[in-house]
Amino acid sequence: MKVKPLLIQDIKFQYKYGFYFLYLVFSVFYITLLYALPVAWREKAAILMIFSDPAAMGLFFMGAIVLFEKGERVLDSIAVSPAKPYEYMLSKLVSIGVISTVVALVIGFSGGVIANHFYFIAGVFLCSCLFSSVGIILAAKITTLNQFILATIPAQVLINIPAIAYLFGWKPFPLLLHPGVCMIELCENGTNALPAIIILILWVILVAVLAEKAVAKMLRSVGGFKL
Amino acid sequence: MKPLLRSFGIFMYQISRDNMLWAVCIAPLLAAAFFRWGIPHIEILLCEHFQQQAVLSEYYLLFDLFLSLITPYLFCFAAAMVMLTEYDENVTGYMAVTPIGKRGYVLSRLLLPAVISFFASMLLMHFFTLTVWTLWMTTITCLLTSLLNVAIALLVFSFSHNRVEGMAVAKLAGLVMLGLPVPFFLSSGVQYLFSPLPSFWIAKFCVKRDAILLLPAILSSLLWVWLLYRKFEQKLVR
Repeated sequence: MKVKPLLIQDIKFQYKYGFYFLYLVFSVFYITLLYALPVAWREKAAILMIFSDPAAMGLFFMGAIVLFEKGERVLDSIAVSPAKPYEYMLSKLVSIGVISTVVALVIGFSGGVIANHFYFIAGVFLCSCLFSSVGIILAAKITTLNQFILATIPAQVLINIPAIAYLFGWKPFPLLLHPGVCMIELCENGTNALPAIIILILWVILVAVLAEKAVAKMLRSVGGFKL
Repeated sequence: MKPLLRSFGIFMYQISRDNMLWAVCIAPLLAAAFFRWGIPHIEILLCEHFQQQAVLSEYYLLFDLFLSLITPYLFCFAAAMVMLTEYDENVTGYMAVTPIGKRGYVLSRLLLPAVISFFASMLLMHFFTLTVWTLWMTTITCLLTSLLNVAIALLVFSFSHNRVEGMAVAKLAGLVMLGLPVPFFLSSGVQYLFSPLPSFWIAKFCVKRDAILLLPAILSSLLWVWLLYRKFEQKLVR
């Protein structure tokens, strides 16, 4: 298993390039904003903030991370190292998932919205893994940042809109099959939290498998020709 | 002039190849249509739901301000992303020693897109605003928002060493626009905590319609551009 050294390097990388500082600033900003809102709005606002930013950070940053690694020939080294594609992917998912979860916990505690710690942490972490996996799938195929930003728009629409509709009261039962909705259900500690966590895990496994295939394909083609 | 236009042509080719050109053209139109027809419709629904005379209509001017900002923001964001990619691939340094030069590089990557977005923004403001705007007010506001976005793009490029940092700074740079809603929600002296932000003065000028407020709006914008351009030059020399 090469996950541990990869994970340590990814955390160092994210610290060096300001992810921790950025989310420290944004945590303070979000908490200030939460306290400026009426108490009745606070729970929904906090969940919306967590869902749209820290949980989705993998989708926002993955393009830049992968393109940077391509440019610096990090991927060439990984391709010839004993590290497997799934280990590379797992390290990215966990390192970003940790930041997402910590930031979400800080916002959640400040907003007083955490009813069930286990469901909340699981919801945010799994959702972060889902967003990061989608980010990896898209990043593996692009060559510029602008391409990546455009490619993320359909993914964001598909994941965000049903989840936001669910948060604001549109709750037909079949919508629980949607991964974003599962995260909202878990963070709200809803009555369907148990099926939601199972569905979300299945979604994460499915998208992570696709991401692993995308990484494997990308690693096979670094250096200009396909192995 | 010819190298400058050629460099601008390369920039336009890059963003059209990525389809970003179509996105920066279509997204402001969609947003404008939503503001113009969607917001009043939502206002009616909200008024009915909360049994109020007005919920959003007091903030229609704020929607108009965001409308004036969105086109230059998208153009300058796309430009910043292209510049970051070029810097990472060491193209920027080579461009700076060609006849284009450092100034030409900034002109072709930031100023020309900002000029185009200024006219596009004027056009959108003419057809899609929710409040009444005079031509003079529209021109000044679009000019200021274009200048602000040049500053934001310079900020993203100058304070990042690579694409990853660039994305982090781009996210952080969004806070520069935080000044826009301040005069609408804070009436006490606390609002002046946001006075270093040009966006605060732009909003203040539009709310009060006082020409005196134009002075800090222009000065703060120019100060940001000047300071960040110096930082940008230092980065190119490195």
